[in-house]
Amino acid sequence: MSTRFFIVAAASVLAWPNVGRADAAPNAADSQSVKLFVGCPVYRDSDSGRKSGCWLVTDPATGIRYDVTLGRIKPILGRTILVEGIVAERDTSACGAIVLEPVNVSVLEGTCKSHMLPAENYPGHRFVLPQDVMQPTHVPRELPPPPYERKQFTIEFELNSDFLVYQYSEVILERAWLYAKASKARRIDIVGYAATQPIVVSGERIVEDLSIAKARAEMVAEAFSRLGIERKAMHLSWRPAPPASAEDVLPESAKRRVEIIIHP
Amino acid sequence: MSLSAHADSQQAPTAVQSAAPAATYDYDDERWWSPGDTRTLPPHSAFSNEHGTLSTILLTSSGPTSLDTANHPFFTPLGENGRACVTCHQPSDGMSLSVTTIRERWRATNGKDPLFAPIDGANCPDAKPGDPASHSLLLEHGLFRIFRPWPPRNAEGKPIEPQFDIEVVRDPTGCNTHPRYGLKSAEPMISVYRRPRPVANVKYLTAVGFPFEPKNGLPLPVDPESGERMSGNLMADGRAGTLKRQAIDAALTHLQARRAPSESQLRGILEFENMVYSAQSHDRFGGELTAAGAQGGPYFLAQFAAGALQGGNEPIWLEFAAWLEAQDDNATPEQIEFRRSVARGARSFATKTFLVSDAAGITSMGFGNPVRNTCAFCHNMQHTGLDVAPGQVDLGTTNEPFAEPAPHLPLFKLTCKPGYRPHPHLGRVVYTSDPGFALTTGRCIDIGKITIQQMRGLAGRAPYFSNGSARTLRDLVDFYDRRYNIGYTEQEKQDLVNLMSVL
Repeated sequence: MSTRFFIVAAASVLAWPNVGRADAAPNAADSQSVKLFVGCPVYRDSDSGRKSGCWLVTDPATGIRYDVTLGRIKPILGRTILVEGIVAERDTSACGAIVLEPVNVSVLEGTCKSHMLPAENYPGHRFVLPQDVMQPTHVPRELPPPPYERKQFTIEFELNSDFLVYQYSEVILERAWLYAKASKARRIDIVGYAATQPIVVSGERIVEDLSIAKARAEMVAEAFSRLGIERKAMHLSWRPAPPASAEDVLPESAKRRVEIIIHP
Repeated sequence: MSLSAHADSQQAPTAVQSAAPAATYDYDDERWWSPGDTRTLPPHSAFSNEHGTLSTILLTSSGPTSLDTANHPFFTPLGENGRACVTCHQPSDGMSLSVTTIRERWRATNGKDPLFAPIDGANCPDAKPGDPASHSLLLEHGLFRIFRPWPPRNAEGKPIEPQFDIEVVRDPTGCNTHPRYGLKSAEPMISVYRRPRPVANVKYLTAVGFPFEPKNGLPLPVDPESGERMSGNLMADGRAGTLKRQAIDAALTHLQARRAPSESQLRGILEFENMVYSAQSHDRFGGELTAAGAQGGPYFLAQFAAGALQGGNEPIWLEFAAWLEAQDDNATPEQIEFRRSVARGARSFATKTFLVSDAAGITSMGFGNPVRNTCAFCHNMQHTGLDVAPGQVDLGTTNEPFAEPAPHLPLFKLTCKPGYRPHPHLGRVVYTSDPGFALTTGRCIDIGKITIQQMRGLAGRAPYFSNGSARTLRDLVDFYDRRYNIGYTEQEKQDLVNLMSVL
């Protein structure tokens, strides 16, 4: 299973089951275009148990409000966010806005007015633990079976961030580590990328410095080091991200990544 | 002391064939364990407190044991000021130290006890000796001076380039602006004031439930000496990752030892720490904490597996779930009502949701800010209420604007430098009475984070929070109620107080 498929799959299991409110089903023609904008998040205090609140944000260019709750990173109230997502084929009954899925959110340094909405009978997305999560320490790890060949793992990051996100990054890191261990890797390439080509989103200039690509690579190397991989086996590099490829579902998000290449 | 079978002695869990009869310590001079005291610490010591009885037991894999404390390194002065580890980690106080005990020692010794050593038992080392005002933070709030080098040092002792500048805004003790001890002295240091943390039930403190640290996404660091992962739950600011490093740090600072303890001494200290369990064992209203199906007290605690995450079908504090509907023909109506209150408190702790906001460490790791959850979101380790992930969280006990007014404490202004991300919730400038974890890491995001404490033995070691800002368990509940606008009813507050009083 590819890393990117895993992201989508992990996000999907958070979904609230459709409960019949199809009052604002997305336009099919609109559903495949990537929504990319900067906005101010609003929190809807829907209470379907822990971690069930809704995160809503309006695209300033269209005035359409989207539900970005299913991103692996949730917003911080009072801080603007960069949103990149695709309209999901599901109704709006959970939170009262068009659902983006997959969706990535980056918390920006810009501030905006904090605003919370009451539940207004929206249930929110009930939290369901992803199926693919880090296991407790006492659970034995199984090494992947042969044959072993060159294998790549990819971890994506938020804008201008080298933060390894919980219930996402560590699963990939451990999987890569186990593969390196099982295959007796002779070399591990860790390549950090940054979105250094500026773009303008909602009137804001969005760009990353190459230094964040280095920081990302070093963060992954630190993780491997703590897992017991010798530094001399790791070869770090960092570079500007090339243009996104056609297979990148969320092309801007895909530029902010680290590729881990295991050479048995 | 009487070595009779104590009325509060506990039913033995399966793995312990018989709980040792409790030695009860009824008088102040018996309760206090002085450095160099040559008494034998029995397998089970019972100490009364305002909520009932706290038990401290010694248990090895072979069963209950006693300890000859004569010349034992935990009980023997290792430095120049006459203190031993036991000075601040008393069996009577859940292996911590209550402000009541501190005041009693002042009264009994007229302030001469090594407990009041100027190095950290006074507001600043050169404060006038023998004057209660010189020890006001210790006598009134149970706070010791913790002095940290500035800039911070890494594990190898090398300076870390901090992400923020620090200025002293308020200095009621005079120590942070002191020419010898202050921030601008020849050896710059920051003095903050904290409560001693309990040295008991340590298998929970050192448990590694998961190999990764969710708050930064990295695997937990490995102790180069043992090769074992470090839990990150040992100290308020996380400056020592192992019991051994903590012991060395404490000896060199609090005990003013000229050199680190020997390997033999360290081994003795760690062996003791790994055998001592402490918890409330009897309640003045509820009676035995093992009665009617409950699993309170230290014997059960000693045998549960450490590091397990609560949740779902196994919420935290199931130890007292049986009391919700328990039928006990021998119980009085008052006992039954108290027990039900404890069980309701346990259920509320695990299930009542509220909006957790601006609590860096939790709300900065991707869950969103705010995030709806329960007390057990952070206090998620079964049986102790520790955080299975290392528990460095900013509850707002030290950072403005959430901290309670504390004119007796210093106030620092921390300004995050250009090029570094500001604090995720408080911005580029943060005012705090204790930078906490940031004094270890030098990072803006860590300002005011304090490692979550275990919740065992609370009845014996008031006041609470690292800065002693909650004088009672009710104060503690009220702080959370205000901080997160929870809206507890009076009954819910009392239920939580009752729960915490039996841990």
